[in-house]
Amino acid sequence: MERTIRVLVAKPGLDGHDRGALVVAQALRDEGMEVVYTGLRQTPAQIVNAAIQEDVDVIGLSCLSGAHNELFPEVVRLLREQGADDILVIGGGVIPQEDIPYLKSQGIAEVFTPGTPTRVTADFIRSHVKRKRMSLQPAPNKIAHIGIAVKSLDDALPFYTEQLGLPLLGAEEVASEQVRVAFLGIGESRIELLEPLGPDSPIARFIEKRGEGIHHIALDVDDVNERLLRLRENGVPLIHETAKPGAHGAQIAFLHPKGAHGVLYELCQAPKASASKEETAHE
Amino acid sequence: MTTKDCTELYRKWQQELAERLAKTPERKQRFATSSDIEIDPLYVPDQIDDAYMEKIGFPGQYPYTRGVQPNMYRGRLWTMRQYAGFGSAEETNKRFRYLLEQGQTGLSVAFDLPTQIGYDSDHPMAAGEVGKVGVAIDSLEDMETLLAGIPLDKVSTSMTINAPASVLLAMYIAVAEKQGVPSEKLSGTIQNDILKEYIARGTYIFPPKPSMRLITDIFGYCAKHVPKWNTISISGYHIREAGSTAVQEVAFTLADGIAYVEAALQAGLDIDQFAPQLSFFFNGHNHFFEEIAKFRAARRMWARLMRERYGAKNPKSWQFRVHTQTGGSTLTAQQPDNNIVRVTIQALAAVLGGTQSLHTNSRDEALALPTEESARIALRTQQIIAFESGVTDTVDPLAGSYYVEYLTDQIESRALEYLEKIEQMGGAVAAVEAGYMQREIQKQAYETQRKIESGEEKVVGMNCFQLENEPQPELLRVDPALGRKQKERLDALRTRRDNLAVEQTLNQLKAGAEGTENLMPLILECVRSYATIGEICGVLREVFGEYRAV
Repeated sequence: MERTIRVLVAKPGLDGHDRGALVVAQALRDEGMEVVYTGLRQTPAQIVNAAIQEDVDVIGLSCLSGAHNELFPEVVRLLREQGADDILVIGGGVIPQEDIPYLKSQGIAEVFTPGTPTRVTADFIRSHVKRKRMSLQPAPNKIAHIGIAVKSLDDALPFYTEQLGLPLLGAEEVASEQVRVAFLGIGESRIELLEPLGPDSPIARFIEKRGEGIHHIALDVDDVNERLLRLRENGVPLIHETAKPGAHGAQIAFLHPKGAHGVLYELCQAPKASASKEETAHE
Repeated sequence: MTTKDCTELYRKWQQELAERLAKTPERKQRFATSSDIEIDPLYVPDQIDDAYMEKIGFPGQYPYTRGVQPNMYRGRLWTMRQYAGFGSAEETNKRFRYLLEQGQTGLSVAFDLPTQIGYDSDHPMAAGEVGKVGVAIDSLEDMETLLAGIPLDKVSTSMTINAPASVLLAMYIAVAEKQGVPSEKLSGTIQNDILKEYIARGTYIFPPKPSMRLITDIFGYCAKHVPKWNTISISGYHIREAGSTAVQEVAFTLADGIAYVEAALQAGLDIDQFAPQLSFFFNGHNHFFEEIAKFRAARRMWARLMRERYGAKNPKSWQFRVHTQTGGSTLTAQQPDNNIVRVTIQALAAVLGGTQSLHTNSRDEALALPTEESARIALRTQQIIAFESGVTDTVDPLAGSYYVEYLTDQIESRALEYLEKIEQMGGAVAAVEAGYMQREIQKQAYETQRKIESGEEKVVGMNCFQLENEPQPELLRVDPALGRKQKERLDALRTRRDNLAVEQTLNQLKAGAEGTENLMPLILECVRSYATIGEICGVLREVFGEYRAV
């Protein structure tokens, strides 16, 4: 269930023309967004305060008095100062085309000039808020490992250890996933070889359908459950709704490949104890 | 419609006109078409009956449906009064002189937002706004520069100023004084219509009650000292721009007019004292015939209100004199030259509707303030209508058209319904405070937007007949350093002037504002001592408070 997009429509400065702002506010409400309208004569500081208090995703600034070059960037500056620069800022009004590059360079995401259908503004907000929500979280730290399905660890390992010369860091059984895994070290990542424990193992079925090969990519994150919540909010299909134990005491969850253009991704949260100690122990 | 079969009434009207022409001849000895068909001042039906006299009548006669003056543009063309102003007083003075040279017949001053809202150019709220939508006027000094070289006994000036109208009027009077022109000779207008600010325009300062007091103070002062001045321009333009229909434009404007009349009567003024100096301001919108009918309906409605309801005796009190501006909100950013065509149609409707003065918008309206070239084309539009189209050769040529008379009647009856409703709410002030007009307008604005976006309402060049790659037109830019320059001038002024005198006049104003005396003389004293608009309005803000919108 996606969180409703919240928008603050604001009139900075002394401009008293509010027809456009009111029409846009109503149109966005009709498009399913929650809209707060500030009324006239707002200072940039008042707008930023309202935006933070109202916990909005977007600020829409309206100015027909020619003061946009001074007032719009000031709003962005104050948002940054208050650490709220994840809020999307867009503008509209009587703004010459030639001023738009400057406004964009100052952090205004888009300017909607006279004649813009309200639908266009709504669509822009939707696609950009979605993107912002995802990138709100820090990106994953690194590739934790690449999981490769093999019929037999004993058969596969020599290629990795002898032909590629990668160090074998360890092996273990993960009963919950019905696999036996072997970890090889490479840079900051691992190659994880997966051998099915029995014919019902999902890995067995994978090998049956597609043969041996790359099975999944695991991304190292600090907060699996947090991320799963966000992803679910944004409508990303998941295999696991909450984290479960994986190899090495990690907390893991898989995302559904249909949401990732055919790739099976695993989110992998390492246990609190330093991983390197365990590695050395296994070596 | 021949003049052979005229009735007694028409002959009487003709006689009165002849007497008038003996004193003020018409623009031409003889009006005729290209085929030399002679054109009479007025055309009437073969049978002039009671119904005709009651609803249509003759121009220059109650109920003025056909026009406020008896021979309208045959006697004198409408005033070509182009709204102008930007940047500094010097730059605007230059643009004024250019427009007067190019044939404009009256001045119309656009002030920047800080001035309109009673802030000096160095006030924090003025940041980014100085000189942008009009000229920055901080003190009498700026006003002197603005009007330099313009003979105030010969040129009439309209000032679009509302909340601080008293201040700007005082400055105008003070500049005229220095030119040796007494206030009795001054002609012009101040917009001074605060109710529409609350409804649609947004440049209010004080709450309604003290604002009405300032307005009636101006009425009272001008009745005695500036008798040729239009003390108010009761506006429908902005209401229409905010999204209303033509009927709402008429209704809400007249409702505001009624509120001002009531306020003035309550303040003890006599109806015939102040009513002749009331004027109006309408929008010149797209629907050609509805617009023409709108003017005719409004004239008839106002005349009836003033004579029947308020018992005014002076015919000048019954006259709905109107300035028109073509509708800015109809103009597009796309293919801006198309706007020249739109403005022409809108201006023509206003002329056929009988406007007393006219502003035509420039083609770059949706983009910025007009370049000199765009402003010139806008003026030429009026001149071509006036001198080349022949529509000025007879009065109210569309009278008698089944369509136009029907529309006139419809607009009147529908507007009366609104007036009735507003009356029941307790009048315009109450309706404004309840947000009634604002909601009606907003509903209509949204409906219009919906129709445009669905394509049901066509806007050429915008939702049909679009251009792939629009060329970038040349635009006017206001000197961004103006804010700083004004601040320097203010600092210099504050050092140069007699600050003790300023303080005295401001204190006297404060005392006056707390009481009930007419504030105009006190404001004049402040202005003469070079108190700034921010200082004067600062005092009034202290005493009156500031308006908070619902």
